[in-house]
Amino acid sequence: MSPIWQVAKSQFRHDRLHFCLGIIVAILPAAAGLLLLGVSGWFITAAALAGLSGAFLNIFAPSAIIRALAIIRTAGRYGERVLTHDATFRFLSDLRNRLFATSAEKVSEGRRTGLVLNRLTADVAALDTVYLRLVVPISLAVTIAVFLLFIWWTVSASVFLTGLSFMAFWAFLARSVVSRSDRQMARRADAASEAMRLRTADLAAGRRDLAVYGGLDKAVDGILEAERRLQDSENWRERRAAGFAALSGFVGQTFLAAMLLVCIWNVADGTLGVPAAVGLVLAVIALPELVSAVLLGLTNLPRSELAARRTDLTAHQNNKAKTGAGSNNDQPVPADQSECVLSFASVSFTYPGAIDPVLERFSFDVKPGEIVALSGRSGRGKSTIASLAARLRSVDTGQILLNGRNIEAYRATELSDTVTVLGQRPYFFNDTIADNLRVANPSASEQDLWSALERSVLVDRIASDPDGLNCVLGEGGLGLSGGELRRLALARAFLTRPSLFILDEMTEGLDQVTASEVLERFFKFRGTASVLMIAHKQREIESADRVVNLDNMSDS
Amino acid sequence: MDAREGIAKDADNAFSIGEPGAADTKALNLAGVFLAVSDLLWIPQAGFLAWTLGTVLSGVATQERTLLASDMTPQLLLAAAAVVMIAIARVTLVRFAQTQSLTAARSIQSQARSRLLRATTTRSPSDSFPVAGAFAAHVVDQVDLLGPYYRNFIPQLMRLRLVPLAIVAMTAWYSWLAALILLVSGPLIPLFMALIGSRAKAASASQQEELTRLSGVLLDRIRGLETLKLFGALEGTKADIRDAGERFRTGTMKVLKIAFLSSTVLELFSALGIAFSAVYIGFSLLGDLNVGAWGTPLGFSQGLFILLLAPEFFAPLRAFSTAYHDRAAGIAAMQKLSLLLAEIETEGTVSASDLVKRSAAKTFTASNETLANPCVSFNEVSLEVSGRPIFSRFSLHVGVGETVLISGASGSGKTSLLDLILGYRKPDGGSVQINEVDANIAAGELRQHVMWLGQAPTLFHGSVKSNLLKGLPDPTSVSEADIWNALRLAGAENLVRRLPQGLATQLGEDGFGLSVGEIRRVALARAAMRSNSTILIADEPTAGLDPETARDVIGGLTALTRDRTALIATHDPAVLKLAGRRVDLDRVVEAGLEPVS
Repeated sequence: MSPIWQVAKSQFRHDRLHFCLGIIVAILPAAAGLLLLGVSGWFITAAALAGLSGAFLNIFAPSAIIRALAIIRTAGRYGERVLTHDATFRFLSDLRNRLFATSAEKVSEGRRTGLVLNRLTADVAALDTVYLRLVVPISLAVTIAVFLLFIWWTVSASVFLTGLSFMAFWAFLARSVVSRSDRQMARRADAASEAMRLRTADLAAGRRDLAVYGGLDKAVDGILEAERRLQDSENWRERRAAGFAALSGFVGQTFLAAMLLVCIWNVADGTLGVPAAVGLVLAVIALPELVSAVLLGLTNLPRSELAARRTDLTAHQNNKAKTGAGSNNDQPVPADQSECVLSFASVSFTYPGAIDPVLERFSFDVKPGEIVALSGRSGRGKSTIASLAARLRSVDTGQILLNGRNIEAYRATELSDTVTVLGQRPYFFNDTIADNLRVANPSASEQDLWSALERSVLVDRIASDPDGLNCVLGEGGLGLSGGELRRLALARAFLTRPSLFILDEMTEGLDQVTASEVLERFFKFRGTASVLMIAHKQREIESADRVVNLDNMSDS
Repeated sequence: MDAREGIAKDADNAFSIGEPGAADTKALNLAGVFLAVSDLLWIPQAGFLAWTLGTVLSGVATQERTLLASDMTPQLLLAAAAVVMIAIARVTLVRFAQTQSLTAARSIQSQARSRLLRATTTRSPSDSFPVAGAFAAHVVDQVDLLGPYYRNFIPQLMRLRLVPLAIVAMTAWYSWLAALILLVSGPLIPLFMALIGSRAKAASASQQEELTRLSGVLLDRIRGLETLKLFGALEGTKADIRDAGERFRTGTMKVLKIAFLSSTVLELFSALGIAFSAVYIGFSLLGDLNVGAWGTPLGFSQGLFILLLAPEFFAPLRAFSTAYHDRAAGIAAMQKLSLLLAEIETEGTVSASDLVKRSAAKTFTASNETLANPCVSFNEVSLEVSGRPIFSRFSLHVGVGETVLISGASGSGKTSLLDLILGYRKPDGGSVQINEVDANIAAGELRQHVMWLGQAPTLFHGSVKSNLLKGLPDPTSVSEADIWNALRLAGAENLVRRLPQGLATQLGEDGFGLSVGEIRRVALARAAMRSNSTILIADEPTAGLDPETARDVIGGLTALTRDRTALIATHDPAVLKLAGRRVDLDRVVEAGLEPVS
C-alpha cells in the first residue's frame, strides 16, 4: 500500500467527521465560484436579449442568486480553510506525540538525534500536504468534473465531448506529473537538506573540536555545499512544476476558445440559447484554478511520500521490537536467585551489526545490601551490563532477575523506582538546575534538592550563582565544568531511594579529594540499598564488598 | 517605484540580514512586470470573447440564425486562434517571471545563510552559543522562509500597481459606473489588509518562536532520552512534548485564521464586485438603468467585456493576499535572523578587532615559523570567567620540548588555561605568548597544527576514517598504516577493529555506538594523526578509561610528548607520573605565583 494512502487513511481514522466535513465544505465555495461566473454571464445575456426584444425577464431571482453565490463563495472558503487546516494539524500533533513515544522506546539504538528530530518536525510537517493538498483538491476536482460533465451531457453531445476531451487531457497531465525521476530528485533534495541540518547542528555543538580539526570555515563550506545541492534539485523540481502549471494554463485557455466555438455552433444549430452558451463559456474560466491546485499537490507528492515512508517505517519497527521483548517472561525462577537484588542467569548479548557477542552465557548476582564492583578492560561489556540491568537493551538469551522477578515483567515506573542508574553519559537539559535534578524525582522539595547538592559537594558552587537552583544550564550544561556536571549527575542519584544503585564510573573526572569525599557521602546515603559499581579506580574497587572481574570471566 | 523601495517601505525597518542585492532587486522587478503584462493580455482575450459572442447575440436577435454558421465560421476561428496565440504568450511570460523570481529568491537565501554561518566562525568556541537544534532550525528553516517572501510576494507588488489601474481604465472607457464599482470595492481592500496585516505579523513572529521552541525542546529531550528513561521520567516528558506541540498547533491556527480572514475580506469584495458588476450590466442591458455609460447605452459586447475584466481586477489583489502570509513569515524570519546574527556577533571573550588582527597576522606568523620550536609563556595573566576570578597575575613558562602536567581541583581553571593558549579566551590582564607572539595572533596558525584533545571531545557524523582525517592539510597523502599507527598510540586499535565496519563505520553527531572513553580515544587518535605537530595540548586524556586502557593511552602520550612542547591537564595520578614538570593550579591561585614542584 502506498505510504501516502496510509497517511490519508490514518487521518481519516483519527477524525472521520472532520475529514469528510472538510471535503464537503470545500465543494461549496468551488461550486459557487464556478456558478457565479456562469450565472452572471447567463444573466446579462438574457437581460440584453430581453432589452432588445422587450420581453419580460424575472430579474430579481437571478440577481439574488448572484449575490447569494458571492456570499457562499466567501464564507465557504473561510470555513473550508479553517476546518481542513484544523483537522490536519490536530492529526499531525497527535502523530508527533505517537512518534516521540516510538523513538523513546528505541532510545539505545544509537541513532542520530538530528535525524530523529527531523522525523518529528520536518517529516510530520510535510504530511500536512496529504489531506490539504491532495485529498481535498482531488475530491473537489473530481466532484466538480462529474457535475460539469453531467451538465454538458444534458446540453448536447458536442459540448459534452469537448468538455470530456479537455478534462481527460487534464487528467492525463495530472497522471504524468509524478515520475520516477521526480522521486529520485526528491530523495536527493532530502539528503541534501538533511546533510545541511546535521552539519549545521555539528557546527553549533562541536565548535571547539571543529576549530582545531578541519576549521570552522571548512565546516561552513560543507554546509553551503549541501545547500547548493539542495537548490539544484529543487530548481529541477520547480522548473518541472512550473512547466506543468504553464501547460495546464495553456490547456485551460484553449479549452475556453474551444468551448466558445462549440457553443456558438450549438447556438447556430438551435440546440442552445445564447444566454446558456455565454454561461457555459464563462464557467470554463473558473476551471484552471481547481486544476492547478491538484497539480501543485501532485508535484509535491514525492516529498510527502518520502516523509510518509519514514514515519511509517519507524512505527513498524517499533511493533517488531515489542513483540520480541515479551517472549521469555515465563521462565521458572531458581530459588537461590530469588533472594538476590539483581541476578544475571546465563545472559548472552550481541550488539546489532556486531559479529562477536559482548556477553556470552554470563551469570552473576548482587545480594541485598552488597556492594559489588565490576572491573575489567574496556569492551568487556561493563557498560552493557549496566544498560541491560536498566532495561535499555534486552538480552538475546538468558534472563535478568530483579528482586526475583524477570526484569521484562516490570512496568517502567516500577523499574525506575527499584533501580537508579547513573549512566556514563548523563545528560543535562536546557532547563534550570532544579528541573534537571527533578528528573530523578519530580516531587522533590527545594530542601531535598539542596541536601542532594550538599551530598554531591556542589552546594557552594550552585549557591554562588545569583540564580541558584533556577540557573539555566546551556547546551550540554555549559557554565559548569566537567567534574561539576559529573557531581550534578550524582546529585540526581541522591534524590532517589531504590533498592539497587548502578553507578557507571561515578567519580570519573573528579579530582582525588572530591572523589573520595563524594564516595564516602554516597555510601553513607545508600543505607541498605545494594550497589553495583562499574569501576576501574583502585579506590572504588577497594570499597566494594566483592569484585567481579570480567577479564577473568571470559578467560575461564 | 521599484521593488527595493517597496521592500524597504514594506518592512518598516532595515534588517542586517536577508535584504536583496541590486541584481536580485532588478530581477524581482522584472518578474513583477512580466506577471503584470501577462495579466494585461487577458484584456484582448476578453475582447475577442465578448465581441464574438456579441456578434452571435445580435445575429440571433435579428432572427438570422441560419446565416450565422456559414458567415461567422471564419471570424469565429480567427477569434479562437487569437485567444490561443495570446495564451501562448501569457504562459511564456509567466514562466519567465517564475524563473526570474525563483533565481533571485535562491540567491538571497544563499547570501543570508552564508552570512549567518560565516559569522559563527569568528566567535570563540568558549563563548556561549545558541542551542544546536535552534541554530540549525534558524539556518535551515527560517532562511527557507525568505524564499516565498521574495519569490511570491515582492513580484506581486509590481503586479498590484499596474494591473488593477489598467483594468479600471479599460472599464471606464465603456462605463464609468462599472469602473466606480471596482474602484469602491478595490481600495477598501488595502485598508482591511493593513488592519489584519499588523496582527498577522505579530502572530507570525510568535508562531516562529513556538516552532523554534518546539524543535529546541524536542532535540533536547531526544538527546536526553536515556537519562529520562533511566529515571522513569518519560511520561512527564511526553506531556512536555504534547504541550509544546499543542502550543505550536494553536499558534499555527491563530496565524492561519488571520491569514484566512484577510483573504476572506478580499474574496468578499471580489465576489461582491463581480456580482454588482453583473447586476448593473444586466439592468442597464434591460434598459431599466440608463446611467453609467458615456451617452449611448451599454451594448451587450461592452457589458460582457466589462464582466470578463472584473475578476482580473481582483486577481492581483487575491494573489497579493495569498502571498501576504509569506510576507508576514518572511519579515518575522528576517527579524529573528537579525537578532541571531546580533547575538553571534556580540563582543565575546575574543573581540572582533582581535580577530582582524589575527587574520592580518597570518602572513607574519607563517614567515616567522612561530610553531617550529614553540615555547609558551603566561606573563602575569589575570582572567575572570563569568564573573568568577580564575587567575590573578599567573605566570608560567613552558620551554621548547618541555612537558607540563597541570593538575588542580575541578573548576580550578585547567581548561581555561588551555583555552588561553588556543586563543579561545583573552586574558583580562597580562599576556599569553607563543614564541614571543601574542597567543591571540598565533592561535589561527596554532589550531591548524596543534595536537589537541579536549575535555569533552566531539566526533562528527561521517566514518571513523573521515573523523581521523579531519584537520589534516592533505588527507590523500595519509596511508592506512599511518591511521592504524595513530589509533595504536591512542589505545584505540582494538576498539576500531571491533566496530562492525572498522574504519568505515559511520558515527553520528553524538559518536553513536561509542562510549565516552571510546570517543576520547578516537579523538586522541585524531590528534595523533597530526604527526608533524610540534605542540601537544590535552585536557583529561584518560578520563573515562579503565586502568589498562589508560596505561595504553599514557604509553601513547609518552611517545607523543617526546620532542614536543606539551601541556596536559589531568588529575589522574597515572598521567601525573609522566616525565615532566607538574603545576598544581590549586596552589597557584592562592599564591599568585608560579609554583615549583
